[in-house]
Amino acid sequence: MTELPPVTEEINDFAVREHRSLWLDAWRRLISNRTAMIGLVVVAVFVLSAVGAHFFWKYDAKMDLNYSAKLLAPNLRTTEKSTQIHIFGTDKLGRDIFRRVVHGGWNSLRVGLVAVGISLSIGGLLGLLAGFFESTDLNRRERTILMAALGLGLGALPAWIARQPFQAVLFGLLGVASSLLHGKTSKKSSPRLVEYGLAGALIGGTSGFLVGPMVALVCGLVGLSIGLLLARPVGGKVFSSIVMRVMDIILSFPSYLLAIAIVAFLGPGLEKGMIAIGVVGIPIYARLARSAVLSVTQKEYVLAAHSVGEGHGRILFKHIVPNILSPIIVQATMGLANAILSAAALGFLGLGAIPPEPEWGAMLGDSYKYLSSGAWWAVLFPGLAIMFSVLGFNLLGDGLRDALDPKMRV
Amino acid sequence: MGRYILRRLLSVIPTLIGVTLVIFLFQRLIPGDPAVAMLGEHANAENVARIREQFGLDKPAFLDRDALAEGDLPGFFDSQYVRYFGRLLQFDLGESIHRRIPIAETLKERFPATVELSLLAMSIALVVGIPIGILSASRRNSFLDGATMIGSLVGVSVPIFWLGIMEIMFFAVIMKWLPSGSRLSSGIVIKPITNLLLLDSLLTGNWVGFKDAFLHILMPAISLATIPTAIITRMTRSSMLDVLQEDYIRTASAKGLSERIVLFRHALKNAFLPVITIIGIQAGTLLAGAVLTETIFSWPGIGKWVYDSILGRDYPIVQGVTLLIAIIFLVVNLLVDLSYALLDPRISYE
Repeated sequence: MTELPPVTEEINDFAVREHRSLWLDAWRRLISNRTAMIGLVVVAVFVLSAVGAHFFWKYDAKMDLNYSAKLLAPNLRTTEKSTQIHIFGTDKLGRDIFRRVVHGGWNSLRVGLVAVGISLSIGGLLGLLAGFFESTDLNRRERTILMAALGLGLGALPAWIARQPFQAVLFGLLGVASSLLHGKTSKKSSPRLVEYGLAGALIGGTSGFLVGPMVALVCGLVGLSIGLLLARPVGGKVFSSIVMRVMDIILSFPSYLLAIAIVAFLGPGLEKGMIAIGVVGIPIYARLARSAVLSVTQKEYVLAAHSVGEGHGRILFKHIVPNILSPIIVQATMGLANAILSAAALGFLGLGAIPPEPEWGAMLGDSYKYLSSGAWWAVLFPGLAIMFSVLGFNLLGDGLRDALDPKMRV
Repeated sequence: MGRYILRRLLSVIPTLIGVTLVIFLFQRLIPGDPAVAMLGEHANAENVARIREQFGLDKPAFLDRDALAEGDLPGFFDSQYVRYFGRLLQFDLGESIHRRIPIAETLKERFPATVELSLLAMSIALVVGIPIGILSASRRNSFLDGATMIGSLVGVSVPIFWLGIMEIMFFAVIMKWLPSGSRLSSGIVIKPITNLLLLDSLLTGNWVGFKDAFLHILMPAISLATIPTAIITRMTRSSMLDVLQEDYIRTASAKGLSERIVLFRHALKNAFLPVITIIGIQAGTLLAGAVLTETIFSWPGIGKWVYDSILGRDYPIVQGVTLLIAIIFLVVNLLVDLSYALLDPRISYE
């Protein structure tokens, strides 16, 4: 018997290559992409200059005024006419435009960041839940919570009409009952309809009677229909379609027209602009997150997690969220670009930063009336700042899309 | 298919009601007393009373529970929102606070100006965007392709109001080639038929008027067209690239068809579907962009009107025009969806 020689074949398997995480991989691809690098550098320049200026270069917008130096053209050397160097020139109040552009960056970027934060956190969470519960059966506890919320929400109407908050609580309990009793009296749905309809009419009607006969009638009718709705426990699809219908309504406005309209009514101000732009952006993230979740919930690793009995919260945040992050990161980067543009539009229309406060859009809006006097520098530089910062985020977003695409992984 | 179309049509109704609700709720965002906010601090009592009456501000917002408690069932439904909705059903958009003219009336004058501008801008976007998109897809990674990609990225990044200002500076202030605002020079008259000046002057054979109107609309149309052009170019290119990788394209090339026939006969038809969707979405960009573009070019359309009304706190106008734009946007997207159903046989509608 001859002994077999030990196997000394070289292992040439992709599975055993050097371990790199997805993020490290993506980072390497990002820095090897020339246009993405340009975007990253541009974004870094804007962010660093804005943050640096805010903390280390004192600027008091209210005190900045110098009529003797009004509307001076850019100069790189001092002359007798302009005793100071203004590389971007000065505006109608003699303020140094370079200084205001750098400080304006803090405001413009802040609006973008906060607005995207609002849209991303609200929209992302709604989309996540909508997508997950649309494709996964609710467990008993979740169904009970949903039914209780539904009962409370619907019950708020008769409770408000009759000024009796306890009615809403009763309807909430009716929802809980419907959820808990479901399955015991299965299949026969028509008697349940009668029972719940009656219960609803009684809750609304009898307590409404304390206020007046008409109130009793209306609350009874409303209660009846709520009872009928609550008779059969609903699945996560209902939650999802309610959320998505609301998103559709927001989406049926051209996005920054809605932002303009909201701020027009709220009154001008940076914070209000942030809120308006943020709210308008919610549906984009909700839709994106929902469709991304729907595309992974049937994947084997999610099904496996279900079958070993992991909880829904754990599945959602441990298995699903990490796998849908990349499209959301890309969208958020591009969304920053859009938010900066919208913020500038609001500022230009006089709905953004309150005057002396520097902000790129507002600077344009201030200065464009002086165009006929030839003061091109007062509109050129704030505009270039908007354009390059937006371009930077767009380039970075494009690069991230390629870098985070798992198909590109080698 | 018929059922799909019907369902899609019906689905617009709840959205539309939601839209009116959102626009109605705008009023609630006004800090303080809306009547005083609309008229200013020094308004006289008579005007404040008129505004309260017009908006039913003494009524509750949605339902009147006090009336119900007193046994008044019809009074229960007599609320601001129900009144507002009822007026909308009669195509009554309300009236301007300061000028006291019905909004619908001013709309008739101003809307054609915006339509003309948007249509021209969209035509520019299509005529420029689609051919460039096709060309750069067919010459992938060429110099032209790179230039297109950079150009379209810059196009979506440039603030259109700034572009408009720069155009005015160069073409009107420095070169003095083009007029910087309004629709016509003073002294030029075009007999109104459709109120689309370009069309009217052509119909009446008024060449002087046509030239003047054209010179006036050129700059606003170009700046309004920038973003749609960039986006349509990108979309055409990427959708063409997807289609060009399909097997049937390779087959068509392999059997010796010329590149032109492959591109236009085989590829374009299928690449066009996503582009149509984008066109629908861009209609919204155009209408919303009109607020900025018209403001810069003093174009007497609805966008400028919204801007002036925001400054003058004439809230009913802002509400009315926003509603109108939302409805147009909804209808355009409905048409896009329906055309999708007709154009793409691969999608089945149960």
